Amino acid sequence: MTPNAPARLLALASDGDRRSAPVREYPVAEASPSPALDRIAALAARIFGAPMAGVTLGDPDRARLIASHGLADTAEAFRLPGLPVLGGPRPEAFMVTDALTDPRTADHPLVRGGLGVRFYAAAPIVTAGGQRLGTVSVLDTRPRHPGRDRLDALRDLAALAMEELELRLSAVRTVAAERARRADAERLARTLQRTLLPPTLPSVPGLRSAAAYHTASPDEVGGDFYDLFPLENGRWGLFIGDVCGKGADAAALTSLTRYTLRAAAIYDPDPCAVLANLDAVLKGEQQDGGPRHCTALFGVLEPAPGDAFTVTLAGGGHPPALAVRADGTVEPISTIGGQLIGLLPEPRFVRTTTRLAPGESLLLYTDGLVEARTPDGDMLGQERLAQHLAAAGASSADRLLHTVSGLLGSLGPGVGDDTALLALSVPVPPASSLQENR
Amino acid sequence: MTEPTLTVEQQIHQAGPVVLTVTGELDHHTAPQLSQALDHAPLGDGRALVIDLSGLAYCDSTGITVLVTAYHRAQSAGSSLSLAGLSHDLTRVFQTVGLDQVFTLHPGLDDALAALRP
Repeated sequence: MTPNAPARLLALASDGDRRSAPVREYPVAEASPSPALDRIAALAARIFGAPMAGVTLGDPDRARLIASHGLADTAEAFRLPGLPVLGGPRPEAFMVTDALTDPRTADHPLVRGGLGVRFYAAAPIVTAGGQRLGTVSVLDTRPRHPGRDRLDALRDLAALAMEELELRLSAVRTVAAERARRADAERLARTLQRTLLPPTLPSVPGLRSAAAYHTASPDEVGGDFYDLFPLENGRWGLFIGDVCGKGADAAALTSLTRYTLRAAAIYDPDPCAVLANLDAVLKGEQQDGGPRHCTALFGVLEPAPGDAFTVTLAGGGHPPALAVRADGTVEPISTIGGQLIGLLPEPRFVRTTTRLAPGESLLLYTDGLVEARTPDGDMLGQERLAQHLAAAGASSADRLLHTVSGLLGSLGPGVGDDTALLALSVPVPPASSLQENR
Repeated sequence: MTEPTLTVEQQIHQAGPVVLTVTGELDHHTAPQLSQALDHAPLGDGRALVIDLSGLAYCDSTGITVLVTAYHRAQSAGSSLSLAGLSHDLTRVFQTVGLDQVFTLHPGLDDALAALRP
């Protein structure tokens, strides 16, 4: 470029060497219009006293106008090819003071065409990493000879536009990251829940079983758990319980509790011994965050004569199981007196035994069910639960669960805590029991 | 739904016992408040502690932990701890978890204070 060139291109020194900064590609396609960018365009026009200004993004040949100020034709002007690089691509702010007399711009459609651009000034929008995102530019239909300070101001406006774009990008990314973090947390909760609950109950010959887990809040994973698993000599172990607390801590404690109960049952299946074993393990876990405790019912199922089962249950601070008898009455299998596990120096566990004859069933549940609020504001309680089951006349494990799920649904927001349900029933064998096909 | 709230007030009665009046909902959000109040309650020298729960609408497993921790602390300080005014529902909860065997329960604060008189 020579000083006597018809159109003087004023080049400003670039902003030092920024290429050493870590290069992070700015996602130009993600940029969206904003009032701040419109104000930057308006300010650019006002500084030059020119009628048109715009902020464009993207490759010079496919520039996207993201903010504009001035004539209705402005948008049209910025859609024409090549204008942002009028005079050639350059990394610095520059001006074409009279496009008509500059041989490089004289034949440009914007100059020759209806718009008749005579003056053009532009400053590049450059990221800290040196990536050129676009341009803040000013146009006029008259030749102009503004001072160098105007071009300095345009360069400052381009830097402002860059800051605005970075801000908006970081806001978008924060929202996206938060969304991803939330999705991760929900996935973790679901995974934990799947891990903590047996996905399917094993098939016990001569017995029907069903289980369900009702969550009260999608945000806080409760610590309810249950299981049904084989022991030696045709016997089966079962348990249901609830650990203190919510969230990740409760989930970890639930996991520990489940595996302790299963391991303890293999070592000594006496239900009270199993709970005592769990008590010792939980007390050993009291490092930080205070004591950890749970409530649980642990039982051993044993086939008995007459296609029945004997159920021996031990309770540690847990609501009693309810048996639905063949005549339709509902009877609590009381383990009242049994105490919380893991919290008291010498907790007492209470053992009881019952017989489940064909046509009878047993419901084990956690306190979320009986502590749910009824519309009158009181807790549902064991008596009203028993009355509800008796009135529903549910006798099989599946129907029992269906009845309780319906009850929880009808209580709606009154259910303030997670609820685990485990139902067992002894089917009535067909008349020709020898032909029974399982 | 509004956030559960809890208030804890401490009074030292003429007769000597420390009375903590707990009102509201005791759960894993509010339990630290009661925990802190219990930590600062003056125990020892045979001073009895009465926790008045007649204004307690709800108590979850975290709340129970706090109360049992207070029980252990009172025991080691040689103080008696009694609970007063548990609602019918909460009495049922305490029976279910077997804590009615641990705590001395009184129907109301007056009963609890009367029981402490020689």
